[in-house]
Amino acid sequence: MYILSSSLISSLGQNKEAHVKALKAGKTGLSNQTNFHNRIPGINTFSGIVNDIENIQLPDSLKIYTCRNNQLAWQTLKENSFSSKVNQIVKKHGRHRIGLVVGTSTSGIAATEHVFRNELETDEYDYQTTQQMDSLAQFCSQVLEIEGPSFAISTACSSSAKVFEVAQRWLNANIVDAVVVGGVDTLCLTTLHGFNALGLVSEQICKPLDKDRNGINIGEAGGFMLLSNLPSLEHSTNPLVRIMGVGESSDAYHISTPHPEGEGAQLAMLAAMEQAKINMEDIDYINLHGTATPSNDLSEISGVAHLSKESSPTWVSSTKGFTGHTLGAAGITEIIFCQWLLEEQFVPVNLNLTHLDPQLTAKLKHTTVNIPLETLQLAETNQKLQYVMSNSFGFGGNNASVILKLESA
Amino acid sequence: MKAQILSIGVTAPGLVNFENFKSMILQNQSPNTSEAIEKYSPTFLPPNERRRTTATIKLALKTAEEALTHFQQRYPQADSKLPVLFVSKDGDTLISAKMCQAVGEEEPMISPTQFHNSVHNAPAGYWMIGQQNQCPASAISAGQFAIANGLLEATLQSQTYAKPVLMVIYDLPLDDLIPKDASQKAAISFAFSMILDASDSNQKSDYPALDLRITQQTPTANFVDNPYSGLPAAEAYPLLQSLVLFESNGENSEIHFPLNQNNFIKVSLT
Repeated sequence: MYILSSSLISSLGQNKEAHVKALKAGKTGLSNQTNFHNRIPGINTFSGIVNDIENIQLPDSLKIYTCRNNQLAWQTLKENSFSSKVNQIVKKHGRHRIGLVVGTSTSGIAATEHVFRNELETDEYDYQTTQQMDSLAQFCSQVLEIEGPSFAISTACSSSAKVFEVAQRWLNANIVDAVVVGGVDTLCLTTLHGFNALGLVSEQICKPLDKDRNGINIGEAGGFMLLSNLPSLEHSTNPLVRIMGVGESSDAYHISTPHPEGEGAQLAMLAAMEQAKINMEDIDYINLHGTATPSNDLSEISGVAHLSKESSPTWVSSTKGFTGHTLGAAGITEIIFCQWLLEEQFVPVNLNLTHLDPQLTAKLKHTTVNIPLETLQLAETNQKLQYVMSNSFGFGGNNASVILKLESA
Repeated sequence: MKAQILSIGVTAPGLVNFENFKSMILQNQSPNTSEAIEKYSPTFLPPNERRRTTATIKLALKTAEEALTHFQQRYPQADSKLPVLFVSKDGDTLISAKMCQAVGEEEPMISPTQFHNSVHNAPAGYWMIGQQNQCPASAISAGQFAIANGLLEATLQSQTYAKPVLMVIYDLPLDDLIPKDASQKAAISFAFSMILDASDSNQKSDYPALDLRITQQTPTANFVDNPYSGLPAAEAYPLLQSLVLFESNGENSEIHFPLNQNNFIKVSLT
């Protein structure tokens, strides 16, 4: 599948330029003093917030969908000429030939929270267009005037990585000509208090892979990609990036703790590589799920180490230190990062890592896996990124890995 | 697109399983929809996990287990670790409403169990743990378009993975705590499951195959009295009924399920 267009909004910015600039400069989007913090007295943590979402106005015909999640979706579809590119494709192939599949963990649950907190009149509340789990899919299909198959995947933090396999199935079955994939998750109280109850929210800025890591920071993001089996609408000067493989698996181990040796993670990575017809030594960079919980990072690094061979130098890093954990939007956020890393040829720093956890060092002993402590611009070296992989794992032991490739010009 | 049905399960108030449904249809009886759903415990789960399952999770697991048990009996040689697809409009609204209520309190209290059970893929997670199954597991919501999107997704998954796929479509009424939406609170729970095979295995089956076609033609209304009408999963009732009639007297009827406002999936039995 070829990426025809993408759009991403996170705490780092609203377009590619802002994100690439922040990733290269090692500048985080996380803060412990945001508007969201006013709503969580007594909880000390960092968050990755997108400012002013609550002020985004939806058009009258779609007003009923108003909630933080759909407001961010609207903005993300409008930015970066994304919706106008989708319109072109819709005109070319017909509405019924475009599919839409999006990931979210909590949809518009914040609207229901507002009612219980007396911040929203019951009269102004509509469950079906906000909290209902498919609200995001319904809303985006209406905004883009898409009439192909459409649904929301909600498998916690792997949601918006799994959308790629659905897109692939629809395209290969020739029931659509293009697919909009994406994911949106926005800050809400139930999720923050839920993770806090599990002891997984860090009071410090999150430190993936660090010996002092002690949990996640929650972030919000919206991201979309337009995919097709044909390279492009018109001649493009941009380098072409393709989705080469998607792999999924289950841990079958524990409902909220990953398998200690990353067994499920390995199965997902192997399935993605099998589909891409490559081996671990072909992978130049892995964007880790890397949430900065003690158990996730240990499990994931164990999984990566099991698959790595001494002869295969691979860069790995987590970008959660930039954006926080954007949960159901983590997959699409990091897969769009991977697209941009390929286009711009750099490896992002594993932000906030100062002392690599010795347990992880031990796991990686017989591998040539490298964790960048600063961003590497590869144009200055002989190395090049060609294949990169993004990992996303969720509660319920739900795993997905996606492989992207830069097509040589 | 063709998908062979290898196994079926159904659970609803007044419906214990598919055999029960079948005999009811053949004897022209109506289910008693005011009966409670039969008590069920997912004994395939370790006691710790079993204890944590909610009514929503149990409805999904019971219906999944019925289809898998029949599959294992009918095909003892077959690999019974199948990819799964759970389809539900809302997931567990008792939990989500309780959590929303909690964050309205001065000191929000959400329990760890409540939180991990709140994810839409909780039934999938428990199922895979209980079955020691490391295949892909998905959990989706397509709102009122559940059946068309669910059948399509399960069929395409089976093609991709080259093995049968277990699909469970389940819906429960919205919890009373959710503001408004009286009709969705008064609705009746309904769940059904199918093991669908769209790989080229040519597995012999007790059931017909589904032929799925996407169409923009508006269907002529064919009226079937559906005692469960209300939630998306229950829209399968006419399909389940026609499966029984097809088996008993070869009677075939086409059924349209909306894919969205203007497109449909036309299902016929072969």
